[in-house]
Amino acid sequence: MRNIRRRTIAGAAIAAFALIAAACGSGGDGGTIDGPTITIGSANFSENALVAELYAQALESEGYQVERKLNVGNREIYAPALESGELDLVPEYIGSALTYLGGTSSPDSDETYAALKAAWEAKGINVLDYAPAQDKNGFVVTRATAESLGVAKVSDLAAYNGTLVLGGPPECPERAFCLKGLEGVYGLTFQEFRPLDAGGPITVAALEGDEIQVGLMFTSAGTILAKDFVLLDDDKGLQPAENLAPAVRSEITEAYGDKFSETLKKVSDKLTTAELISLNKLVEIDGQDPETVAADWLKAIGVTG
Amino acid sequence: MVATEGCDVIGFLGGVLAWFGDPANWLGPSGILNRLREHLQITVAATSVSALLAIAPAVWLAHRRIGGTFVVALVNIGRAIPSFAIVVLFLPISIRLGLGIGFWPTFLALLFLAVPPMFTNSYTGVAEVDPDLVETSRGMGMTGMEVLTKVEMPMASPVILAAVRVAAVQVIATATLGAIVGWGGLGRFIVDGFAIQDNVTVFAGAVLVAGLAIITEVILGGVERRVVPATLRSRSEQVETVPA
Repeated sequence: MRNIRRRTIAGAAIAAFALIAAACGSGGDGGTIDGPTITIGSANFSENALVAELYAQALESEGYQVERKLNVGNREIYAPALESGELDLVPEYIGSALTYLGGTSSPDSDETYAALKAAWEAKGINVLDYAPAQDKNGFVVTRATAESLGVAKVSDLAAYNGTLVLGGPPECPERAFCLKGLEGVYGLTFQEFRPLDAGGPITVAALEGDEIQVGLMFTSAGTILAKDFVLLDDDKGLQPAENLAPAVRSEITEAYGDKFSETLKKVSDKLTTAELISLNKLVEIDGQDPETVAADWLKAIGVTG
Repeated sequence: MVATEGCDVIGFLGGVLAWFGDPANWLGPSGILNRLREHLQITVAATSVSALLAIAPAVWLAHRRIGGTFVVALVNIGRAIPSFAIVVLFLPISIRLGLGIGFWPTFLALLFLAVPPMFTNSYTGVAEVDPDLVETSRGMGMTGMEVLTKVEMPMASPVILAAVRVAAVQVIATATLGAIVGWGGLGRFIVDGFAIQDNVTVFAGAVLVAGLAIITEVILGGVERRVVPATLRSRSEQVETVPA
């Protein structure tokens, strides 16, 4: 008697487990593509997470299995994660990525892209076709500061060497397109560098409160227009081409072939700087959900149904 | 300087020692001395303001036997909210109030951290004074104020001072969060080191914070020993530990 009861209970437990495993294990809707799950990561600022979401939803609509690990950190964190296999895909900016790998970037998109592709191929990362949209580091001042100091270009700041406070992400002093470049290319010196965030709310607040006079913001951010900041012109061409491009592990592109790259290309082709700015505005200024904004846009450009 | 892979502990510690040995890391606005000064300033400010806010009302309420567990529970709601959340939540409020970033959200979060244990311990310290002792004192002709100042507070002093000591150490550890909202202090080494994946700086920052916490613990412990009468010292064992 006891044996039968024990076996019944064991059997019921196994059945329950199998049921749960089957229910949880299977993928999404019909047309699921077999293959490795694609782990999509992003840097820790809203634009990059939004573009990652665009790629994720575009792939999911084609039936790929996608896992999201957004807002991972800055490049010093997500790039090693991509190279080690913890992430499979991240939206990259070709100029900064190439510099990170030790290459020399330029304002020419094709040149920079080719060099990046070659450099990263050696590490098993395939950089797919780049989008027209660019997002460069930009140095902004408030309208009031621009008027009182009479500055419109980055080189104008040289007249105030040693007196102004620069604010930016903590890694800025180490970055060629941030403080290092301002010092090297423009010959600027600041009274102080304040580590804040990557062109986010802390930097905006610091600018408005005059705790910093110059802040780093991203050129495609909706905030610059919304807050009436003045984006100083990069007259000495410090910033390279920074087109968005999906950086994908070769194992993924090899496993899935051309259809995979084409899906992402459909997104990239339609992503211009103007589109990117308006998408950023919806998320950053209007406070809309990035998932919804992404879904709406993909539908509008015909990538999803 | 990126930390190498693999487990070269000796090499890593060597890197940390070299970091401390480099005078460039000590001087200037982002050097150890300045960050230490900032950290001490906020610790002293937050601990003393918290003490002012917490101890007097708690002691008075306990003396008058008002409130009881309800009051203590109310104050301890502040403890349930993680300091990280408070710092981040206070940032937009601080901005809106024109108080800027950095210092004020951090300072307010530290008040939330330090006030509950000081309040609770002051309250229970006075409330648990032997009622017979209070009776006797009144019988001897002491006024309420005299009972409070000559009997209840001295009796409660070990518990109250211990709470201040524990809170101060907690404040030192938690003030590191300020670096996330644009403030300075020793947390900067941890946050900035992390941003460039420089584990040596991160570790050095942690060492500085821990060192400061230990030194503070020892100094305030010494003060406690001097101020609290020997006969009452065992009461300080009753201080409840402040949860991390």
